Amino acid sequence: MKRKTEAAGRRAAEGASGRRWAYRLVRNTVLWLIPAAALWALLTPSYNRFLQVAGQNLVRITESPDATRLLPRDDHYAAIARLDLPPSREVVGSLRVTDLHFPVILLAALFLGVPDTPWRKVLAHLGLALVVMAVFHVVLVLFWVKFTYATQLGAWSLERYGAFARNFWGLGKHLLDLPVKLALPFLLWAWFYLDRLLPARVES
Amino acid sequence: MADAAPSPSPRRRQVLFLVAFGILLAGSFTLLSLNWVNDHAVEPFTAGVARASGAALRLLGQDVTLEGTTLRSPRFAVNIANGCNGIETMLIFMAAVLAFPASWRSRAAGLALGLIAIQGINLVRVVALYLTGAYLPSFFDTSHTVVWQTLVILSGVLLWLLWASRFALPARA
Repeated sequence: MKRKTEAAGRRAAEGASGRRWAYRLVRNTVLWLIPAAALWALLTPSYNRFLQVAGQNLVRITESPDATRLLPRDDHYAAIARLDLPPSREVVGSLRVTDLHFPVILLAALFLGVPDTPWRKVLAHLGLALVVMAVFHVVLVLFWVKFTYATQLGAWSLERYGAFARNFWGLGKHLLDLPVKLALPFLLWAWFYLDRLLPARVES
Repeated sequence: MADAAPSPSPRRRQVLFLVAFGILLAGSFTLLSLNWVNDHAVEPFTAGVARASGAALRLLGQDVTLEGTTLRSPRFAVNIANGCNGIETMLIFMAAVLAFPASWRSRAAGLALGLIAIQGINLVRVVALYLTGAYLPSFFDTSHTVVWQTLVILSGVLLWLLWASRFALPARA
């Protein structure tokens, strides 16, 4: 009986501590949002160019001969072009590259807002999470380009992509560009810090 | 005699949460991609968001008319498409609530309050975007994709954190 009371007391204390931690996390995340957004905006033009080059290289691995070129249009857009089409028709689509990676703001604010954790550890976790995000962004560029080729070019698409391929690239782009892109910051945060929120071990 | 019931370790529960969250998210967004679901659930829901946004804008003195899911005035027109209806954030929030170890009562309360709050925030987003397009059009693109998408997703994550800490953690002794 006494042990049960002690266990309940311990769980309640852990619960209260978890609640305080969560409130501070919410406050810190909101406070970090503007600095994170400012840094992201500053780095966006360079990061977009990196994604154009890395994305183009990844697409070219999947095709033979190499025909895809991603051409920077301005700080935010890239044109999807094919060298095997006549020059007047070589641009087959465009992509707002900035839209692929704005959730980095959320990721940075969530990680930097974690309370009661040494800065060194937080920055190491954030660095790892940013690497995962960068790999994801390059894969997302691939899916955008393949989605354009498989579903957006009418007869050209139908000639070269079967029903399975059209569905694969279409659904893949839909899932990566919506739920995965938007939820990835939270998933990565949960990978490192969810244990701080989970209720204590259940004892009876 | 007090006996300790075997329960999964924190790391295992963390992995279980992530797996359940991923499955729920992928499942719900795959459903969302079906034409039938789009036509019978998403479109009517989006039309409701457009009606509510139109009413809010008229309350603010804006001369807007509604054509399907498009809010139009002599100054500006905005179409509320998929992605602007708050459904993505609602599904992420729902998956996180359902995957977290909590009682079904806590989950039901979290879902009811959280989904209403997310739609409230999304209403503010649509109204703010319309006003941005009408009065500060050069900021519309950035505001549309970056600012408000981030804020709405962030609100979903923070609401989940508050729910998880308030309702899912053990109560004070």
